[in-house]
Amino acid sequence: MTDRAIIVDRGYRTYDGERRGTGAAVGAIIRDGFRRVLGLRRKARSKLFPWALIGLMVMLAALFVLIQWIAGELTDDLPRYGEYFDTISALPILFMALAAPQLLVPDRTQGVLAVYLSRPLRMGDYLLAKGIALFTLMMALYLTPQLILHLGLAGLAPEGFFTYLGDNADVLWKVPVVAFVYFCLHGSLAVAVASYVPRIGFAAGTYLGIVIIANRLAEFLSEAAFSGARWFAFLAFEQHPRYVRDWVFDLPGQTIMGAAGFEPWAALAAVGAIVAASAVAVWAQYRRLP
Amino acid sequence: MSDSLFTTHQLSHRYPGVLALDGVDLDVPPGRIGLVGANGAGKSTLIKILLGLLDPSGGSVRVLEHDVASERRSVRERVGYMPEGACLPLDQTAADFVTYAAELAGLPANASRRRASEALTLVGLDEERFRYLGDFSTGMFQRVKLAQAIVHDPEVVFLDEPASGLDPDGRAQMLDLIRRLGDFGISVVFSTHIIADIEQTCEWVVMLDAGKLLRAGPLARLGTHGVVRLEVVGDQEAVAHRLREAGATVTTARTHLLVAADADPFGMILAATASEHAGIRAMREAEVTLEEAFFGGQAT
Repeated sequence: MTDRAIIVDRGYRTYDGERRGTGAAVGAIIRDGFRRVLGLRRKARSKLFPWALIGLMVMLAALFVLIQWIAGELTDDLPRYGEYFDTISALPILFMALAAPQLLVPDRTQGVLAVYLSRPLRMGDYLLAKGIALFTLMMALYLTPQLILHLGLAGLAPEGFFTYLGDNADVLWKVPVVAFVYFCLHGSLAVAVASYVPRIGFAAGTYLGIVIIANRLAEFLSEAAFSGARWFAFLAFEQHPRYVRDWVFDLPGQTIMGAAGFEPWAALAAVGAIVAASAVAVWAQYRRLP
Repeated sequence: MSDSLFTTHQLSHRYPGVLALDGVDLDVPPGRIGLVGANGAGKSTLIKILLGLLDPSGGSVRVLEHDVASERRSVRERVGYMPEGACLPLDQTAADFVTYAAELAGLPANASRRRASEALTLVGLDEERFRYLGDFSTGMFQRVKLAQAIVHDPEVVFLDEPASGLDPDGRAQMLDLIRRLGDFGISVVFSTHIIADIEQTCEWVVMLDAGKLLRAGPLARLGTHGVVRLEVVGDQEAVAHRLREAGATVTTARTHLLVAADADPFGMILAATASEHAGIRAMREAEVTLEEAFFGGQAT
């Protein structure tokens, strides 16, 4: 060892290693999407809102299990599975209102799209990756509290853990299907808005405004006394997944669509139409960028 | 390494109401290439077409022997791009973003982190790499933009106005970085409207004006080729008139003429002076600056 140090210019080293192509790039965008929405590797204030909502959703599920544990019996007075979507409905909508703009707006307004598209990616790859990131996060958000509830109730069930799981095996498809319908409706609306609005807060507010105002309009107009007024029930976007949920779980819910005389499949078709219209709107915006 | 960095054939691009590129033919070799022209000359449009970000209205383009229209991914795997405007997410650290830029080019996560660290060190941001981009100055921004363009070791990097917005020190450092990239074996296509930057940095130059190709060639040749400094004994104006009639471009000074011609200018001069019964006091290849060559090209 010498006591004399020297400074060596490391210069530039070429890279001869593996290049994984478009699939790896799509994976990188998905992982970046998770980090962006959850505020990971970002300043503390970016973490506050998403983690508060996640914590609230998980704690509510745990609270319902705790109440039943304290009560010493499983009571039907507390919401389960289908009803639980109603109990927490505002929280995923708020999360979606923030997540969709977080995924799309900064890339567009800060010019980062130019960097994405100088890599071996097409715009379709980029949008697909963002969609997968949003889908994964939202499904986790819908399903994690349901899983906690399901396992908690199974643990408290007098007939035994595995007997309860066997008796309630149908929730294993019902809950994900309903969660997917909720995601399709809210995800497509929020992404369509975020594709056009240039600020995160404004995009979140616009999406929430559309959901709330359209519901009110549908309620008011579908009961009006003119011919064809009932068709305005389709404007109750937020209630379409709820009507599908009532259908799947066989719940006696009251929705604007139901009151206007439409069957649940009409609500499901409306969700499909909204998804298609939103996809067209998003593509119309992004195909001409950057 | 390919023989041609890029070639274009009758390349045109039209924006609504504006012809941005008009029938541009180029065959550019690897190296440090300067793309010079005034604002609106078509430099950024040409770069975006070379990257496949814009589809040309007419003509064809090949980059590194790949057809950009049909082999866009093959081209993008081998190039880097530093856009002119903002392109950095302000809520990420420099290290995170440059790592992400490497991952977007298909590099594995560990290699991406290592390459990001090396690229940021190369551009002089070793100490600042864990700071958020929103806290960076303009000069640091430009360096991060350059780091993300080279992090995946491209064969060629397209730099759109890399020195814009920099103070004189920052500009000198950026030009030095660009020179070093060439020394490392990365071809550089560098657009600017400042001719002095090209003279300091590039080996080859492409001059555009209002979408048309003015000149293209090695920097050394553009400075001298085809321009002859002529001192006449006799009627200088008559000789100049005769040369113009023969198709030469003639600039008249008090003591001499500058004669430029696509064909052999010496032969033209001999014919013109003989027909005007003038003598030749001195005749030699003139050295002109790139700026004179650019404005001479514009005049024709």
